[in-house]
Amino acid sequence: MIGLTEAVVRFGPRTILDRLSFVVPVGRTLAILGPNGRGKTTTLKAVLGFQRLDAGSRTAPDIVGYVPQTASSNQRYRAIDVVVMGRAAHLGLFGQPGPDDFDIAHAALERAGASRFAGHFFDRLSGGERQMVLLARALATGSAALVFDEPAAALDLHNQERLLTLLNGLRALRDKAIVFTTHDPNHALAAADDALLMMPDGQSLFGPVMETITPGHLERLYGVPMRIVDLPGPGGDPQRAVLPAFAGIRAA
Amino acid sequence: MATVTQELTTPVVRPHLARQTAAFAVLLVLLAVAVVASLCVGRFSVPAGRALELIWQGITDPARDLTEIDERIVLLVRAPRVLLAALAGAGLAVSGAALQGVFRNPLVSPDILGISQGAAFGGALAIMLGIWGFPLIAMVFLCGLAALILVGLLSRINGRTETVTVILSGLVISSMFSAVVSLLQFVADPNTSLPAIVYWLMGSFATATWDRTLVAAPGLVIGAFLLWMLRFRLNILSLDEAEARSLGANTSLERWLVFGLVAVIVGSQVAVSGIIGWIGIVIPHAARLIVGHDHRTLLPASVLLGAGFMVIIDTIARTATAAEIPLGVITALVGAPIFTLLLRHHYRERAGS
Amino acid sequence: MVPLSSFHLDMPRLAAVALIGLFLAPAASAEEIVFKDQENREVRLAKPAERVVSIVIPMASTVIALDGGTSKLVGMNPTAKSAVTEGILGKIFPEAKDIPSDVTAPNFVPNVEALTATNPDLVIQWGGRGTDIVAPLTNAGLNTMLILYGTEERTRDYMSMTSNAIGRPERIGELVEWRDRVQKDIEAKAATIPEDKKPNVLYLGRALSDISASGTKGNYTPWYIDLAGGKNAAAELNGTLSINKEQIAQWNPDVIFLNAFEAELNVDWVYDDPILSLTNAARNKRIYKMPLGGYRWDPPSQESPLSWMWTANLLHPDVFSYDLRTEMKAAYKTLYGYELTDADIDGILWLNEQGASAGYAQFKAK
Repeated sequence: MIGLTEAVVRFGPRTILDRLSFVVPVGRTLAILGPNGRGKTTTLKAVLGFQRLDAGSRTAPDIVGYVPQTASSNQRYRAIDVVVMGRAAHLGLFGQPGPDDFDIAHAALERAGASRFAGHFFDRLSGGERQMVLLARALATGSAALVFDEPAAALDLHNQERLLTLLNGLRALRDKAIVFTTHDPNHALAAADDALLMMPDGQSLFGPVMETITPGHLERLYGVPMRIVDLPGPGGDPQRAVLPAFAGIRAA
Repeated sequence: MATVTQELTTPVVRPHLARQTAAFAVLLVLLAVAVVASLCVGRFSVPAGRALELIWQGITDPARDLTEIDERIVLLVRAPRVLLAALAGAGLAVSGAALQGVFRNPLVSPDILGISQGAAFGGALAIMLGIWGFPLIAMVFLCGLAALILVGLLSRINGRTETVTVILSGLVISSMFSAVVSLLQFVADPNTSLPAIVYWLMGSFATATWDRTLVAAPGLVIGAFLLWMLRFRLNILSLDEAEARSLGANTSLERWLVFGLVAVIVGSQVAVSGIIGWIGIVIPHAARLIVGHDHRTLLPASVLLGAGFMVIIDTIARTATAAEIPLGVITALVGAPIFTLLLRHHYRERAGS
Repeated sequence: MVPLSSFHLDMPRLAAVALIGLFLAPAASAEEIVFKDQENREVRLAKPAERVVSIVIPMASTVIALDGGTSKLVGMNPTAKSAVTEGILGKIFPEAKDIPSDVTAPNFVPNVEALTATNPDLVIQWGGRGTDIVAPLTNAGLNTMLILYGTEERTRDYMSMTSNAIGRPERIGELVEWRDRVQKDIEAKAATIPEDKKPNVLYLGRALSDISASGTKGNYTPWYIDLAGGKNAAAELNGTLSINKEQIAQWNPDVIFLNAFEAELNVDWVYDDPILSLTNAARNKRIYKMPLGGYRWDPPSQESPLSWMWTANLLHPDVFSYDLRTEMKAAYKTLYGYELTDADIDGILWLNEQGASAGYAQFKAK
């Protein structure tokens, strides 16, 4: 559905992506992990088609539902008008959104859990609320592929939980190919099927979460000793979490 | 879930729609009043009742022979002038609104792309060469377009065009053309072409006739109409580059389409009435205050407000004194304070949010 | 009848010259000429100027007239040159077409290098227009004389100054006398015209790009319209300003004078216009384009009295009946030493273009 094959991106003498390959079929979710500056954003841009590849190829539908970290426009639009922009590709250059498009936009807002903001000004919403609206816009495109740029980066713990629930909700329907980038391997465990680990040495590792999110791989990834802990979840079923070895304080 | 949505969104959206409708009704009435009032006043006194009667006759029986001086004043002098002012004001305002959206910068106006100065150069050159009428208009239009193309070439670096380089290139090309215009003024004949160039550069509708209005009208109407057709697309183009592209916009191509339409509008306007500042920047801001930022409402509101404002300004220009007051003088005198207020309002609100 | 040729050099005339502001200072050398120009600057010439550049447009032809030939004029304004080539002066003095006009931009900004190359001993420039057009001349060490536009008094004054500066003081008396005599004659006759018989006269200094008219104060053409028994229709204007046709309709002038500067402009411009063609002036065929003689007749020049007589005859044919053709022949003989032919006169007065205008038949050759 969406992915890169043997993708190479160079900035001057630096090779950012070196024959990177991964694919996300419809119904699966990919988490891209890596230290800062390693090329997570470049990878996203390459997937979205905004970054020219020096070699290799990109697989993606015409329109990819893209959820940026923050929306930047000095214009003040209502949330519903922002969401309906997702219909642009269907409307063409001179097209105007009609009642059907607004129905789709309202449905998308509802699916993103943001219906109550429909008539609010986008620039007056909080960071988490804006993200929900932007997600609704991505859903309104009707694309089977969704790409999130660092969706959790600016969120507090409560909003992180809400976001992960939302991502899991989308994943559960198994009708989208979803890609997101994150710093936190726990997000991958919580909401992804597959993970792409972009190692500092230029290598990358792509595979199911249970095989890729391991203490060894993560130590290579972040250069910090890591531990995996199994905890009882809220429903009693066991959950897996990742902690850096420095986490916690030594009990006296 | 669906019922919840209904409950929550309807109360917000409905007063919003009602407000918009009311705003448009007021703008439309204002424009109509401005146009009718403008047709009724002038240096030559025609009683308002007689003027209205003449307008009605002009509309119902346009082919009628006009023999009386008051008929000719109202229908051959005022009517084309008021119409031209309305079209020019609408065109400049809608151009400004579109450019401010595309550049995501509220301080951008049609002059920024060098179009006005390029067009001014074409006009000054034509006047100096003793070219009048249609060839002058063609020359103005082509030079405006040439300036835009130069800006396009200059701002394209490594196959990419950044917004900031477009603005800077526009600045460079603008000052280049205005320098050449100064040079033309320097060598122009002070008895004939120099005053003509100076007067024309100051902007005026004094020379409006049906011929000139009909020459400028297609560019102004078609340009404004196509921009209006692009109103939803302008919402998309007002987003960040990556967002706009992800929503399916071919951003650089579509931006140049907008610039091209603006060139058509500004070129047509400059060709018949010289450079008129401030409208393209003040009116969109005022319109945003009234109907909001969404280009689907902003563009028609700018058209109505720009047309009405220009008609009022021009009416002052032609009636206040026996001499024609240059439009640029009035638009700056009225526009600058309004713009200051809008700017302060804008940033105070920003600081508050 | 006040034919120019009938005047003779006499003492009262010389006194008049002294009175209107020519200062002949007692000189160290016999030939030295010292005088104050109209900006009150002292101009000092070791000997009468032999090489004169006029940046001021009408003064080029005036220098030729004062000298009676072209030998002393070595540079002029491009706009003066166009009057030479379009008008009669180029025919009288074909060599005038070769006098350089690159010494200044039309807007009076001098080209100092080209100017210096003509090696002038006197440069005539406008005063009252700021120092930007003067400083380049004085900085280059050029002897500069500044003159002021506006009134007949100033015109006589600067023409006298120039006459003296080029060593032809004997020429000016005759010309000033002529101006004075014609002016007084017109004044005397116009005094009998009752106020309500004075036509509203509109002079359009520009017409083709935008339309401009002038208020009465400080403008020369309205002054002689008033002299000849007319009322300036645009009297309410303060200076020369753009106006619109609606305003002209409101003024509804009885006579419209079109400028001689715009070569493309003729009376049809009024007759073809839907508004202007309904004015009293157009209905009564009283539209006239200013003649172009040795210079354009609208601004002050050596030919101004002809311009006043032409105006007077047109405004009040019942009061004034100058024999303009005879006056012109006499004046051109004195000014340029040239015998005007009937065809020359027809051309200067635009008889082919506006012979059908009201009252114009009087100017036809008999």
